[in-house]
Amino acid sequence: MPAQQGASLANVSASGPVRIGILSFADEEATLDAWRETALHLEQQLRRPVTVLALTPATLDAAVAAGTLDFFISNQFVAVGYKKDWGASQLLTLIPADGREPDKAVGSALVVRAGTRVNSWKALSSQRIVSSDPRAFGGFLIFAGEMAKRGLDPQADLPGLSFVGFPQTSLLSKLWRNEADVAILPACVMEQAAARGDFPPGTFDVVLAKDSAGFGCAVSSELYPYTALSKLGQTSGKLATQVAKALLGVEAGSRAALDGGYQGWSVPVNDNRVFALKHLLREWPFQTNWQRVANAAMPWLAAIGLGLLLGYLHHLRIKRLVVKRTEALVTEIDQHRATQKAFNEQQRQFYRAQRVLLTGEMASGISHELKQPLAGIRYLTQGCLYRLSEDESEIKTALGGVLSQVDRAQHTIDRLRSFCQQPSCYELVRVDKLILDTLSLIAPELKRLKLTPALELTKVKARLDPALMTQVLVNVLLNALDAMAEVAAPELKIVLDTETETKSATETDSGAGHCQYRIRIIDNGCGLTPAQLSRLFFPFESTKSDGLGLGMVICKRIVEEHGGSISASNRATADACGDIHGLEISICLPGSPTHA
Amino acid sequence: MLDVYLVDDDPDVLASLKWMLEGLGIRTRGFVSAADFLQSVDLAKPAVAVLDVQMPDMDGMSLLDALLASPTPIVPLMLTGHGNIAMAVKAIQRGAMDFLEKPVDGDKLQQLLKKASALALERADTQTQAAVRASRLASLSPREVDVMHRVLEGKLNKTIAAELFISQRTVEIHRKNLLEKMAVNNVAELAFVLSGMPK
Repeated sequence: MPAQQGASLANVSASGPVRIGILSFADEEATLDAWRETALHLEQQLRRPVTVLALTPATLDAAVAAGTLDFFISNQFVAVGYKKDWGASQLLTLIPADGREPDKAVGSALVVRAGTRVNSWKALSSQRIVSSDPRAFGGFLIFAGEMAKRGLDPQADLPGLSFVGFPQTSLLSKLWRNEADVAILPACVMEQAAARGDFPPGTFDVVLAKDSAGFGCAVSSELYPYTALSKLGQTSGKLATQVAKALLGVEAGSRAALDGGYQGWSVPVNDNRVFALKHLLREWPFQTNWQRVANAAMPWLAAIGLGLLLGYLHHLRIKRLVVKRTEALVTEIDQHRATQKAFNEQQRQFYRAQRVLLTGEMASGISHELKQPLAGIRYLTQGCLYRLSEDESEIKTALGGVLSQVDRAQHTIDRLRSFCQQPSCYELVRVDKLILDTLSLIAPELKRLKLTPALELTKVKARLDPALMTQVLVNVLLNALDAMAEVAAPELKIVLDTETETKSATETDSGAGHCQYRIRIIDNGCGLTPAQLSRLFFPFESTKSDGLGLGMVICKRIVEEHGGSISASNRATADACGDIHGLEISICLPGSPTHA
Repeated sequence: MLDVYLVDDDPDVLASLKWMLEGLGIRTRGFVSAADFLQSVDLAKPAVAVLDVQMPDMDGMSLLDALLASPTPIVPLMLTGHGNIAMAVKAIQRGAMDFLEKPVDGDKLQQLLKKASALALERADTQTQAAVRASRLASLSPREVDVMHRVLEGKLNKTIAAELFISQRTVEIHRKNLLEKMAVNNVAELAFVLSGMPK
């Protein structure tokens, strides 16, 4: 690409004008005036038009990058800078008008008002220092190189440094007006000003001066080569030879030389020291390269920054969400724990109640079982007594003793029974809710059988003892579930309705007063034989191997205590669907149910 | 003392109770179930029944209801292993003479049985009288019934004759036959006999 570009530009330059850029910090007009004669000389020699452009460092950069220049005249520092990227090479070096050697013609002078003493480079840090431009070679860059050689940083170590721009004589005026202590100037500027009589002689002095034999001016730094003419990479060698030949022919004292302020042109001088300076200064932040890199990187940095910012915002949002979710989870866990606790408590109460009831029922059952033989003994004894004649008083006394012993046993049994009986506490409750609560109590069992009970619950409110009635329901339900353990498709139906018709035919118990509402629990289990059915509500009559046979007795007792009745019947086997097994338990309860 | 019927599902207890009562010279008949009792017993005969409350199939309370469903001179006493006040009240409301807890003392039971016996006889008597009265009333002709109602209302023969469009003499004949058929001597006795029966 560069080769192709170079070829095309070479073609253009064969016919078009020769374009020469001149780096200038000063006034554009003045620069063009100074070089007009030189351009004319070139035009005559080359028989081609020559365009001269006065360029600032920035516009020179742009022009070089655009490839609109064939040659440029600049200080050595800039010339070397284009070597790498644009293939610039030095053709000629300018010879200063005052006859200084071209390879040692540029230096930096630290000018102060006469009498001001600066003993070391470090001491500069406390001074008010002025310079024209950070890119000025003769002034600042060489000075910066000297600083760097001594391990100093002109930016960081010189808090009093400021750049005031061109012309350079204005720096001297600042010194004169005591607005600054030190001025960084190219060598000879101060001497030329003094020679022109701008300031009285002896007004200024150069500090940290270096011995420079054969150099007319005081200087504080090493000396560097003078201004150079360079060709750019794409410029043809032929044109370069022609231009070099023409410029080498400029006589000292010719108009071109006088206007340009030079003596003539020489072959290129050694620019090694400029390289060294460049190398030394490459690190400084105000270097072009750094700025370019920074400018190029800026959008990327901005993008990365934005990305990071967005990432951080996202992170914050996620964090917030996590906090929120955690809170929600904690609440949920707490709620769950509370529910679990309530459930456990309910279950514990249920089992405690059941234990108490069982104890009571066992006492009751045992007392009944004992009462029967005791009654037999008492009857027999008294029968014997009645048969004895008056003269058998000893036996009579003994049999009287039997009677009182039996009565004592009887009394003990009665006390035990009344001790174990549970006083009921009645309250107004929703019976349908009670049924649902009971179902939640046996939920694990229902889950095990994968059974969802069919519910037909009327809303009924009635006075009853919820703990006791729960016992009844659980007992009946668990019996139903046990009966259905072997059934493939268990079905459980619970019906709660208010009784409006007359007593149902299934009720064999005469204990039912006035049945106001009825709970029916219907299963499709194995049912009961007529014999089992007739003794269902008698104690110790369990069909289960591990049962005590008290469950249904308790149920009957509780229901009767509520003034109701409980009955059981096998479901009719001749159903529309054919063979239907199962048991229906019907609990009839009085009271004044209120429709909720 | 009348016969005493004992109903208890426990044969041992039944036998021992029987043994005790027989020691007191009381004739008893034992039954091990309500059905057995209802089948074997003549409900029209005056007697005392001692019923156990806890029995399978038909319990004592149901048996009590069945027993008293129709008029009978039998007087029931309830006997229970563990009774409570509610049950006792219910039993007495339904017609039991008393409600006793097992095991009942022989002397106390004897007293109660005596009382119940008397009550049974009284009931039997009342029921017999009522039956006689009913049969006598049934023997009256429709005209005699008409005359009887008016006589009981205190009307004079003349008025009755006028109301029934018959002669005063005919009224007198009806009145005489009526008193004979009802086995009373005068209208005052007739009123007394009829006052003892429900309308």
